[in-house]
Amino acid sequence: MVTLPAGRSIAPRRRLSLARRLALTIGRLVRHRFALLGIVLLALEIGAALLAPWLAGYAPNAIDYRAMLQAPSFDHLLGTDDLGRDILSRLIHGGRLSLTVSTLAVLMAVSVGVPLGLIAGYVGGAVDEVLMRVLDSIMALPPLVLALMIAAVLGPGLINAMIAIAIVAVPVYTRLMRGQVLSLKHNDYIAAAQSVGVPAWLILFRHVLPNAINPVIVQASLGIGFAIITESSLSFIGLGAQPPISTWGSMVQVGFQFLELAPWFVLAPATAIFVAVLGFNMLGEGLRDALDPTTSTRL
Amino acid sequence: MATYLLRRLLATLPVLLLTSIIVFLLMRLLPGDPINMYIGQAQADVSEEMIAQLRRDHGLDQPLPVQYAVWIGKVLAGDLGRSILSPQPVLDILAPRILPTVQISLIAWLLAVAFALPVGIMSATRPDSWADRAGTVGALIGAAMPYFLVGGLLIYFVALEWRLLPASGFVSPFVDPWASLRTSLLPAVTLSFGLAAVIVRQSRSSFIDVLQQAYIKTARAKGLAEDKVILRHAFKNAMLPVVTIMGIQLATLFSGSIVTETIFAVPGVGRLLVSAILGRDYPVVQAVVLFITLVVVFANLAVDLAYGFLDPRTRQG
Repeated sequence: MVTLPAGRSIAPRRRLSLARRLALTIGRLVRHRFALLGIVLLALEIGAALLAPWLAGYAPNAIDYRAMLQAPSFDHLLGTDDLGRDILSRLIHGGRLSLTVSTLAVLMAVSVGVPLGLIAGYVGGAVDEVLMRVLDSIMALPPLVLALMIAAVLGPGLINAMIAIAIVAVPVYTRLMRGQVLSLKHNDYIAAAQSVGVPAWLILFRHVLPNAINPVIVQASLGIGFAIITESSLSFIGLGAQPPISTWGSMVQVGFQFLELAPWFVLAPATAIFVAVLGFNMLGEGLRDALDPTTSTRL
Repeated sequence: MATYLLRRLLATLPVLLLTSIIVFLLMRLLPGDPINMYIGQAQADVSEEMIAQLRRDHGLDQPLPVQYAVWIGKVLAGDLGRSILSPQPVLDILAPRILPTVQISLIAWLLAVAFALPVGIMSATRPDSWADRAGTVGALIGAAMPYFLVGGLLIYFVALEWRLLPASGFVSPFVDPWASLRTSLLPAVTLSFGLAAVIVRQSRSSFIDVLQQAYIKTARAKGLAEDKVILRHAFKNAMLPVVTIMGIQLATLFSGSIVTETIFAVPGVGRLLVSAILGRDYPVVQAVVLFITLVVVFANLAVDLAYGFLDPRTRQG
């Protein structure tokens, strides 16, 4: 038992069970109007992507030269593209890739950025100084400029675009986690753990990480929106998905060539991108309030 | 103030140096030999000796640290090198591209501020009103709108259907100021959406914080009119975080200009960067990215200096 001066506690508060905290967060999310709307929007898009083989009326790459650039109709609810392919079917299948790639990119960024931030904040000194200067330099570059350069280095392709997005996002999570660690590491419960000889890695993962992770969860939700936009931009420029693979971004890229003849060709995938980003942003807003009600930004 | 400015200037040097190293190394990691691309473009049947000579001419036969030292030395002397894909000096390629990007970004920034600041202030002064809710929902929508959607809608309706403004290209203001404004408007409006959304949110939360301060209550208690309370007492204090976000958003504007210039076929810096990256034109990419970094870093410096005007306490720091 560690003895501390009177009035100083070892643990931050009585710890709620994980299930209880999860239930509380979900309860707050559902009561948050924006978060609820975001969840509904995302459920629609993710549900459509998951059920793509059953929902899509046509094969995404089925070419029909007799039905090129047709306007929306009962046969093709969102019209057809320049090769007569059904845009709705391509949108649903493309959504699978766009959403998966963006989510994986954020997961990759979190799994690299969070440990780096933990180490930088906890160890401090030269490690922190060097890491932060490198990250400052990376962050001095506009995100899409850096993503473009990395995607060009790795070569065009969806996997490489995903890696590029992840690399661009790493500094955000590193800085966020470092800031959290710096504000937590002088707490008494950390000092208590150190004084009884708990190894640093265990302190970081058992005591620091659970208390510092909430802002990362919020940022990750907002980050998926950013990743969707960046993936679309890279595909639009020609460094993302390559034919015959299509994502929402690559559909927009081809669609712009036919904007005057077939505006639905651009507007359908662009609207899908908008709905997904809006959904993740609204969910992020809700998570921010649900995970930290003291700093409520509810509007 | 001069010491503060000097200290801030010196603090930007390591960032600029590290960024230049990152950009340089990334360019050298690009797959494909730029000399082969150069030869391919020239459609020439060239000998091994000529290839070696070209590599020597562009300094590509030197070790990487030497290549970097030579490049950065020349950059500091104002020589950005020569394009690999065209015989022109990089400066001659980059210089005419700056005006379209700066003009469109500036108009986008002005449009965003002119629209978003009053909306943010109105939302903050009438919390939970319909205007506040409309502003908040509008900001959420604006932040999620991809450039493709705004640009696509504007081109289709404003340019193609209604024939009000041109759909693409750029006319220099020195050639025809009116045509220049007309060619800049659609890309600028496209760029301004995301920026306006961020300013609405930041100005709203910043003004809400300031309007709860004791000195505002005192001003109201003295019977001062509400517009005077806001303009004379709240405005300068509430603008500090708003100015910060406006500075940070400059980097976002550059990211946005890459996509909008591609959508609207504007011959700007963003489109030059895309074509140089796709063409593996190292010297052009390095110069463009260095230029963008310089602008972003100095914009942040300008934001720091703006603090001095808005909050005199920071001048002492």
